[in-house]
Amino acid sequence: MNRVIRAAGFLLLALAITVPARLDLELQFDAALAVIYGLAILSLVLLTGYVGQISLCQATFMGISAFGTGMLVNTFHLNYFVAAAAGVLMSFLVGIVVGIPALRLRGILLAVVTLGVALVFDKYFFLDSAYGWFTGGSFGWHVSGTHVGSIKVDSLHVMPAYYVLLGIFVLVALAMLRLHDSGSGRRFRAIRDSELAAATMGVDLTRYKLVAFGLSAAIAGLGGALYPLVVGSVSAQPFSFLYSLQFAAFAVLMGIRYVPAAAIGGFFMGFMPVILVRLSHSLHHDIKYDWFQVVLGALLVAQLILLPDGVWGDVRQKLDHLQVKAPRRKVETA
Amino acid sequence: MSLLSVKDLTVRFGGITALDQVSLELNRGEILGLIGPNGAGKTTLFNCISGVLQPDQGRIRYQGKSLRWLKPHQRAQRGIARTFQNLQLWGTMTVLDNVKVPIDALGKRSLVVDALGLPFATYAEKAANERARAILHVLGLLDHEDRLAGDLPVGIQRRVELARALAMRPQLLLLDEPAAGLDAAETEGLADLLTRIRERFKVSMLLVDHDMSLVMRACDYIYVLDFGKLLAAGRPEAIREDPKVIAAYLGEASAELPGAPEEEAVVVAKTAAQPTTPVFRLPDRPLLEVSGLAAGYGHLEVVRDVNLRISTGEVVACIGANGAGKTTTLRALSGVIRPRGGRVIFEGADITHDRPEAIVRLGLVHIPQGRGLFPKLSVEETLRLASYSGADGENLEPAFQLFPKLRDRRRQVVGTLSGGEQQMVAMARAILARPKLVLLDEMSQGLAPAIVQELFRLLDEFRNRGVAVLLVEQFVDSALAVADRAYVFEQGTVVHEASAKELRRDKGLIASSYLGSAPEPPAAAAHAGGNGHNGHTPLPAELMEDLMLKLPASMLRSLQEKSAREGRPAQALVLELLEERRS
Amino acid sequence: MLIQLEAYTVIGLTVGGALALAALGIVLVYRVTGVLNFANGAMGMFSTFVAWTVIYDPGWSRLRPAFLPEQVWVWFAVLIALVFSVGLGLALELGVFRWLVGRSQLIKAVVTIGILLLLQSGASLIWGNTQYHLPVNVVDPQRSVMVARVPVGWNQLLVMATAIGLSLGLAAFLQWSRFGVAMRAVSDDPIAAGLWGIPVRWVGSVSWMLGSLVAAIAGILISPFINFDTISLTLLVLDALAAALIGGLVSLPLTVLGGFALGLLETYPRIWIQSQDFPKLIALLVILAVLIFRARRVLLEKQA
Ligand SMILES: Nc1ncnc2c1ncn2[C@@H]1O[C@H](COP(=O)(O)OP(=O)(O)OP(=O)(O)O)[C@@H](O)[C@H]1O
Ligand SMILES: [Mg+2]
Repeated sequence: MNRVIRAAGFLLLALAITVPARLDLELQFDAALAVIYGLAILSLVLLTGYVGQISLCQATFMGISAFGTGMLVNTFHLNYFVAAAAGVLMSFLVGIVVGIPALRLRGILLAVVTLGVALVFDKYFFLDSAYGWFTGGSFGWHVSGTHVGSIKVDSLHVMPAYYVLLGIFVLVALAMLRLHDSGSGRRFRAIRDSELAAATMGVDLTRYKLVAFGLSAAIAGLGGALYPLVVGSVSAQPFSFLYSLQFAAFAVLMGIRYVPAAAIGGFFMGFMPVILVRLSHSLHHDIKYDWFQVVLGALLVAQLILLPDGVWGDVRQKLDHLQVKAPRRKVETA
Repeated sequence: MSLLSVKDLTVRFGGITALDQVSLELNRGEILGLIGPNGAGKTTLFNCISGVLQPDQGRIRYQGKSLRWLKPHQRAQRGIARTFQNLQLWGTMTVLDNVKVPIDALGKRSLVVDALGLPFATYAEKAANERARAILHVLGLLDHEDRLAGDLPVGIQRRVELARALAMRPQLLLLDEPAAGLDAAETEGLADLLTRIRERFKVSMLLVDHDMSLVMRACDYIYVLDFGKLLAAGRPEAIREDPKVIAAYLGEASAELPGAPEEEAVVVAKTAAQPTTPVFRLPDRPLLEVSGLAAGYGHLEVVRDVNLRISTGEVVACIGANGAGKTTTLRALSGVIRPRGGRVIFEGADITHDRPEAIVRLGLVHIPQGRGLFPKLSVEETLRLASYSGADGENLEPAFQLFPKLRDRRRQVVGTLSGGEQQMVAMARAILARPKLVLLDEMSQGLAPAIVQELFRLLDEFRNRGVAVLLVEQFVDSALAVADRAYVFEQGTVVHEASAKELRRDKGLIASSYLGSAPEPPAAAAHAGGNGHNGHTPLPAELMEDLMLKLPASMLRSLQEKSAREGRPAQALVLELLEERRS
Repeated sequence: MLIQLEAYTVIGLTVGGALALAALGIVLVYRVTGVLNFANGAMGMFSTFVAWTVIYDPGWSRLRPAFLPEQVWVWFAVLIALVFSVGLGLALELGVFRWLVGRSQLIKAVVTIGILLLLQSGASLIWGNTQYHLPVNVVDPQRSVMVARVPVGWNQLLVMATAIGLSLGLAAFLQWSRFGVAMRAVSDDPIAAGLWGIPVRWVGSVSWMLGSLVAAIAGILISPFINFDTISLTLLVLDALAAALIGGLVSLPLTVLGGFALGLLETYPRIWIQSQDFPKLIALLVILAVLIFRARRVLLEKQA
């Protein structure tokens, strides 16, 4: 069964590598966005799925590295990728600071606090002119692009950025799969299942919770750092708390404990709007965006009632069922 | 030399002093017992030693150094490991993973190395695997290594907790009621296991349990706590005879108990009145009549074809091994789960498919295993809710008269009460609601012997008031001592019905119902009166697990092969097989 | 200068009252059902629009008998809206939350986000997207009384008084009444509650009906003070959450106090500082700090 999943994974990866190159620019752009969103959901799989800490400010972490990168590129004229690395580091540090409340709070209270953090950044740091040195003022930063070797990367040539993002996504996803069954992963999951037992069995709660927040912020920040390259500019809107809520919703919907859910979630978040728009064009009928939201809301509610472990979680369970039966058949032949 | 020394430890929760100037010494290599009534502060002391609670006063020295500034995980890394009264396994992780966490915690392994899967990580992983397997092997858990810890029956989970604590390479092991949820044979095994562990792993232990047979056998020295104060300390033989300890904890009848093999040596036999003729009885129309009841969870039918009759003012016991379907039967009667077949007639009315709240209002009160209380409500608020189950008005006096202790705690939140205090609240409702029939599931689980005696006496009180009682109890002899009649459960159905007197005489009848532990005379089960035996709730997985565990390995193997051949689930075959064996 | 201070106090208290009202519904629902309801504002918004329709929609307002004063018709509309809100709460409980018993808090919270989307975009489809609508004035917006030389509008007084009254009333109900205690019992352990004879399903339904009712009252009373459209009320949830946090998502009176404190904290600095946002930032940071330092010893909480 695992082999089936792995084969499917390779197939999808091959598709993800080959197909976008043949698409028009708008779809290429959406493909890059999908990977960025996928990274954000992946960061939640780590933080909430593995460690059990709920965060509703992942978009904020993205925003910090995006603004940070934009600032370093514009103000200090750093090489884009150096700036991006520094941006990710900023996210990591902010993530650790935001993790401090998690040392004392948990569950839904923690979720609300992180939402509060998201709002603070949304409404003040990202908008207030006092922080213009970081956010580029009311127009944000403009990022004209960069070169990788002789290849030009900017908002009109997104494929190279897309490949970089895809590579990062695959690496992070693999690392997380590996992490899950490693010593550190077990400690993370122990914190999720019982903090009391974890602490009394030698797991340093302070350290691991803060590291989890930091890492999660950095993973979200990876997407954020490359965002300016794809879009060509940075502004506050794409990092608003509404996106944080969407990340949480899609993660839960697809199965927050599973890495592949991030890929599925990112795909839907990236492509849904454009598919819908094109659909309404082809039908020569102006479908209001509100209808999209009505459908989405209804789906969300219905799906969570019907599929408690998320789309991937429940698919996986079905597959596991098959697996349980397989060895029994083997006994017969043996 | 002393490994652990606790001096003048004091802990207060609001108005309550949970520990009051407690001092104790634990020598290296010793197994130290800590006993005392419910709420005496035993678990609180554990919490202080393992660092999850800061004491208000006093100090704890371990290996000659103060623990004051060490966090829980640092104490663990220095060799203090513990188990928990209410299990704290990592339920979504496998047994093997559960045991590997403390092993990793001892080594220095970095996250980066883990995520990249560097060779060093692979090597460390292998080493951890080997050590974890070795520990699982010693505790006989190797068969379960790939199961999720949360899916295992409670008895096994306790053993996994022990394995996990041992994996910490402890010098000091804190065991909080390790025998709760184990049956008599398992408890006996545990005592041996603890002595073996001491020899093999060179650990000292602090042991809390209400099962006197375990404590007396395993411990070198015993401390007794009462109301947070040290009441007595001494060797087991001395403690057993200490009049103060008997009065506060063991109860009058128990002085001669531990190790007393005679058949009628049962706590309650001495104290409770022998079954008397109930105040009044309506022989032709029973209070409760159950015919052909079937119930289960998910795909699994756990009980079937259960027939019961209970008359007004009768005390009836249900006995049988863990997973025989007793709890499930009670749940089906009170409407917690929907019966799948059969009929339940209560006072002439068909209540088979009624909802629990409707059934309660007819006068059938079910006090479930785990007590069924509301952790966030205060004692007073909780008791006021009894008016939903038939108490008149909100007069709580009758309850407070019976349990004066509750009057002092009326404002305390139920979730922070000790186990015994919680059981008092649950029983107080039955007093207030003045029901016609009470279903009691594992009433004595986790309670101090003296309290258990009191509760059994209370059953007599119920009888005198004309209240019928249906009782599920692991302490067969205690139960039979108060009961008029008993039903013997086996494999999800009733196989015998007999008067309690008859069953007390003919032990063979009962023994055969305890599949697996059959050779064990059930007198052992009742050993030290009230301690924490319980049946876990027989959820489908647990139930099957239980059955499977009790099958010999060879039979299990042939079953699996048969199920593969015929393409039918092994579960169904097990049930069939058992059917055959019985007939 | 002095008068200015008093005027700002009135503004601050009005803002605070609005926040408190919006927060009450959130805390109430969380306490009795364990659901963090992001859709609280959206539910209030929808009900408020029902009242709006009865008042301003020609189809409905035509029904008003000529002898009936307009104000009385508004009250009639409010009554209809409140009845509607109770029905909405019942529908949500029957259709959604009854099926989510036993699921994790996160899942339930995400479900309320789905409901938020549903209600908000549904409202947009019915009543138009973001354009401003005339508010529902329960009392004459022109009337005011002088308090300490400052005019205080009737509707401002109404907001403050309702916030205080409602919180005390609801808190007393939950604390003292048998049904209130039963509601808390159900949120603690629904299965055990059934065995205690508590009508579990009815309690669940009442919880949501009450929550929806409080949200509707909040929406209607707040509508004169904001840009009344389908979005603003919906998003008021977020500001309200801050007030709810001060009460730890549990205490209703503390929530209202928190609301007022927040309102004043946001308003006073404007006497000296031009920036609209800086004071809000301070307020938010204060709350986060309070919350984090109020929490204690999390480790043992579960073990009790
Ligand atoms: N977190 C808490 N808050 C308030 N009171 C508490 C708390 N924990 C324990 N208590 C109180 O402290 C006292 C001692 O409790 P503790 O759990 O240590 O008893 P115990 O000896 O372990 O009892 P048992 O044998 O029933 O497990 C009890 O009266 C209990 O109500
Ligand atoms: Mg205890």
